Amino acid sequence: MNKSRRAPKVLRYAAEVVTAFAKGDAVTRLSFLVMGLWGFARRTFARGAVYLFTQIAYIAYMIVFGGKYLVKFTTLGTQTQGKVFDEELGIYIYTQGDNSVEILLFGTLTVIITILFFIVWASNCRAAYKSQLAQKRGEHIVTLKEQIASLDSKNYHITLLSIPTLLVTTFTLLPLIFMVLMAFTNFDKAHQPPGNLFTWVGFDNFTSILGGNDKISYTFVRLLGWTVLWAILSTFTNYIFGMILALMINKKSIKFKKGWRMVFISTIAIPQFVTLMLMSQLLHAQGGINILIQQLGLADSPIGFLTDPLLAKITVVIVNMWIGIPYSMLIITGILSNIPEDMYEAARIDGAGPVRVFFKITLPYMLFVTTPYLITQFVGNINNFNIIYLLTGGGPLTLEYYQAGKTDLLVTWLYKQTVNEQNYNLAAVIGIAVFIITAVASIIVYNRSAAATKEEQFG
Amino acid sequence: MKKLFAVLTAVILCVSLAACGRSNNTSDNGETVNLRVWGAQDDQKVLQTMIDSFKKANPDKTYNITLGVVGENDAQKRLLEDAAAAADVFSFPDDQIYDLVNAGALYEITRNKEQITSRNTEASVEAATIDDALYAYPATSDNGYFMYYDKSVVSEEQAKTLEGVLAACQEQGKKFFMDVSNGWYAASFFLAAGCEVELGDDGKQVCDFNNEDGIEAGEAIKNLCAHSAFVTGDDAVFTGGIGGNIAAGVSGAWTADAVKQKLGKNYAAAKLPTAKIGDEDTQLKSFAGYKLIGVNSSTKEPVEAMKLAEWITNEENQLLRFKERAAGPSNKKAAENEEVKKNIALNALAEQNKHGVSQRGILATFWSPVEAFGTAMENKDYSQSIKQQLDSMVKDITS
Amino acid sequence: MKSYKLRRKISDTAIYALLTLLAILWLLPIVYLVLQSFRAENGAYTEYIIPKGFTLDNYIRLFTETDLFNYPKWYLNTLIVAIFTCIISTLMVLMISYAFSRLRFPSRKTYMNLGLILGMFPGFMSMIAVYYLLKIIGLGQSLISLVLVYSSSAALGYFVAKGFFDTLPRSLDEAATIDGASRNQIFWKITLPLSKPIIVYTALTSFVAPFADFIFVSVIMKDNYNQYTLSLGLFQMLSRENIFAYFTRFCAGSVLVAIPVGLLFMFLQRYYVSGVTGGAVKG
Repeated sequence: MNKSRRAPKVLRYAAEVVTAFAKGDAVTRLSFLVMGLWGFARRTFARGAVYLFTQIAYIAYMIVFGGKYLVKFTTLGTQTQGKVFDEELGIYIYTQGDNSVEILLFGTLTVIITILFFIVWASNCRAAYKSQLAQKRGEHIVTLKEQIASLDSKNYHITLLSIPTLLVTTFTLLPLIFMVLMAFTNFDKAHQPPGNLFTWVGFDNFTSILGGNDKISYTFVRLLGWTVLWAILSTFTNYIFGMILALMINKKSIKFKKGWRMVFISTIAIPQFVTLMLMSQLLHAQGGINILIQQLGLADSPIGFLTDPLLAKITVVIVNMWIGIPYSMLIITGILSNIPEDMYEAARIDGAGPVRVFFKITLPYMLFVTTPYLITQFVGNINNFNIIYLLTGGGPLTLEYYQAGKTDLLVTWLYKQTVNEQNYNLAAVIGIAVFIITAVASIIVYNRSAAATKEEQFG
Repeated sequence: MKKLFAVLTAVILCVSLAACGRSNNTSDNGETVNLRVWGAQDDQKVLQTMIDSFKKANPDKTYNITLGVVGENDAQKRLLEDAAAAADVFSFPDDQIYDLVNAGALYEITRNKEQITSRNTEASVEAATIDDALYAYPATSDNGYFMYYDKSVVSEEQAKTLEGVLAACQEQGKKFFMDVSNGWYAASFFLAAGCEVELGDDGKQVCDFNNEDGIEAGEAIKNLCAHSAFVTGDDAVFTGGIGGNIAAGVSGAWTADAVKQKLGKNYAAAKLPTAKIGDEDTQLKSFAGYKLIGVNSSTKEPVEAMKLAEWITNEENQLLRFKERAAGPSNKKAAENEEVKKNIALNALAEQNKHGVSQRGILATFWSPVEAFGTAMENKDYSQSIKQQLDSMVKDITS
Repeated sequence: MKSYKLRRKISDTAIYALLTLLAILWLLPIVYLVLQSFRAENGAYTEYIIPKGFTLDNYIRLFTETDLFNYPKWYLNTLIVAIFTCIISTLMVLMISYAFSRLRFPSRKTYMNLGLILGMFPGFMSMIAVYYLLKIIGLGQSLISLVLVYSSSAALGYFVAKGFFDTLPRSLDEAATIDGASRNQIFWKITLPLSKPIIVYTALTSFVAPFADFIFVSVIMKDNYNQYTLSLGLFQMLSRENIFAYFTRFCAGSVLVAIPVGLLFMFLQRYYVSGVTGGAVKG
């Protein structure tokens, strides 16, 4: 839906630029070349200066930095590292070759900056023509001061959003594009800087995941299945058991409510990775829990909590419950105390028992309020790197999979592919897959959820 | 009005980027030589001592040498993340040498090459050499493994065979430790059976662990894992249990301090025992590894970096490293030192190294599949035959 | 009536029993952690659970033996990063969510969805890119770069706060507009004072984040030990060559991290609840 609206907008913008050139006078047309010239000619110096400065800054950027990366962007570098023997020193002198990673990254950056520059340029062209028209009609040309003043109220969203946009563009969007592009290269162990170059290979990596290489695609499908299962299990076990715990403590006849809650909340204090590393120690074949079990005579040999394929999966879900239930209990307790009393009243008058009240009133209300929380949890669990990496390391490793273990999620597999195997291209493809799955799922759920539809309800 | 926003964004981006291009130029303050050295956490102190003495020995220049903590295992990973920002001189194990050379990250050593090769043991020099080109300075020859045991449980005679060790442990309700789900240790059975893993001409791994000898080795691993006195885990499990419920275990010189502390007067070490592979008692082999000092090919001070690397690995400093860190020297003279010869762990290692196999032809793809096989054995997962598992393992290793 | 009371008694007893059991399960790892932090013997694994000897040494040495592991410096680094991340990301989240909730401008929906999906992006792949970008900006291995990275990822978690702003009555804004207040004034003087729960929630979550991350720190700081934060530092203590000597100190270090974080959660829990539910529960 956004696309269909976007395309004409871009076209309209382009059309305006063309019109501006066709109908523009000399100053307007010259402003296409020297940005901001119209400002100086038509006495709105400050706006002209801003445009001119942008142009100078862009040109300077291209000369000093961007140009050299942009030129090499299509090949990702051609110059390999070289060495020449220096008789006098008795050593080789290495000449640095191109660095494909830097070319890919800064080339992308330069492309983005260039696109931004063209948007500014187009706005410059339109403004030039507008000022021409205004001047002809004898109207007032908007000044920079007025534009800045509008940031306080009419264009307040620009004020609020520019800095976050800048940060997010630099540290999330640009790296994201970089990663997507990496999936189209042969950046792997054999093509690493500083000694080697990598280059574009089209869709090769995608075909190898989707069936070109049996083992990799099999691993991908199986891990995807486990990732989804894990996300569902971990999200709902936490939610349901958190709810049961909250309901138990909330029961009218139970005493020391605050104390009970404190006990569970106190576990939040310990950083997650500490808990996880401790748990992995405790659950190890030689760890505390196995020692205890053997001392109590419950088992003869250590139980493979982390090494048996099925048991390891159960273990990660249970440990995740240990970590997550205090949070969900805390939240659900909060909601329980906030359900409007009159809703209960009405139900009781209708003669509904406690179970019916729970399913008719408590549960729907709770789901309504916590949908956004559940979505974040679900997505977070799909990408729940820490718990798997620190607890089982993805293990037990299996020969069925391509360098992955039974509890590996797609993200941990991805991480191993980059860190241990340097298969950056393969990892990028996995990353894109994870990203698409989570993005599509969350967009659908979020836009249908109560939170999005109720947005205008108080308006 | 969106244009203003766009203008602002573009301007800020341009300015910040243009302004920052300069940070790349390092300023040379006359004669000051800037060098960065990477070494393991535990080696920091000893490295600092070496650096101080290096400065003293070269008073004609001012050196600004800084230390960074990057352990040998992470060296390759860290270096290749961004070679330009990495250390000039760094320590790494010899099995990373192929990947480092292939990535063009190591400086070929030509300066004083003769001396370096003649001073150090042949095997250690070979570990630092590819196609007759020397790429690093041998620093230690202790990156291998052998067996520690508790003298009060296992006799010297029993320590000679795996059966003997296991029987002795079982008798007293103790365990024998070996991390079979680690390719480094698991390989000792395959190597003992006569299998080979090496680098092919096309730069790919060649491995025949799935031939008949390999299957016999696989069966031997299976039997070991099924033994009631067998226990697995990582070094932490071993150092935690030795002297307690663990009476013998396979590990390397780096756990010597911890094991000594736990066993006290019962501390003993020997080469790996023999094991029944097929019908024969065969001496278990091992990977014999070396720690090397490399010079980053992106260094701005190649000559100075080489001088320093050579200094760090000279006889005196190898002895210093032995005294401070119990590291086994690769320098011939240092290895003949009385103190070194008396060291129990290094002695055992030296014995084992006679059955050592160089690990420099091992690529990183080797480890995970072998680990997967070892894990299946430890879990007593026999859903596939040993042959099937090994076929699958070798296919992954060589892919 | 009697049978009803009996039944309630039985069910209460059952609940007490279950709660006690659960409480023990939840407290055991914590007790274990604290016990280990006072253990006098070295090593990670022991064949017993209760330490043989107790000592305060592990705590003391964290602060006295700083030449290898500079724990106090890491603590300080973490606090600095946490405080600045907290301030910057709270401001940014509030700004973004207010803009999306209260202001109407072209492409708002597109922008919001873009923000939502960008927030889902697994950060690992982008780490190399982020590292190179920071390096070229000249921030390389500095604490500022951590603050920037954490803040920019926190900025994308705007929709909880947006949900909160959606629930604030719009009539207040309208009245203020009639009185001649600008949008800017409304934001600072009317909306923010009403938003204490969501401010505290955002501040709390962004303050705690730097205590948990160890991967980004390792990519950015690489070999620069003095710039590490607590989590990566503690993580290093458990590496193969360090675990024997440092495990008990790791436990001590973790306890010292847990205390302030725990206190924060204890005191601010009601804001946390009200924040996470987007204002449906009043703080």
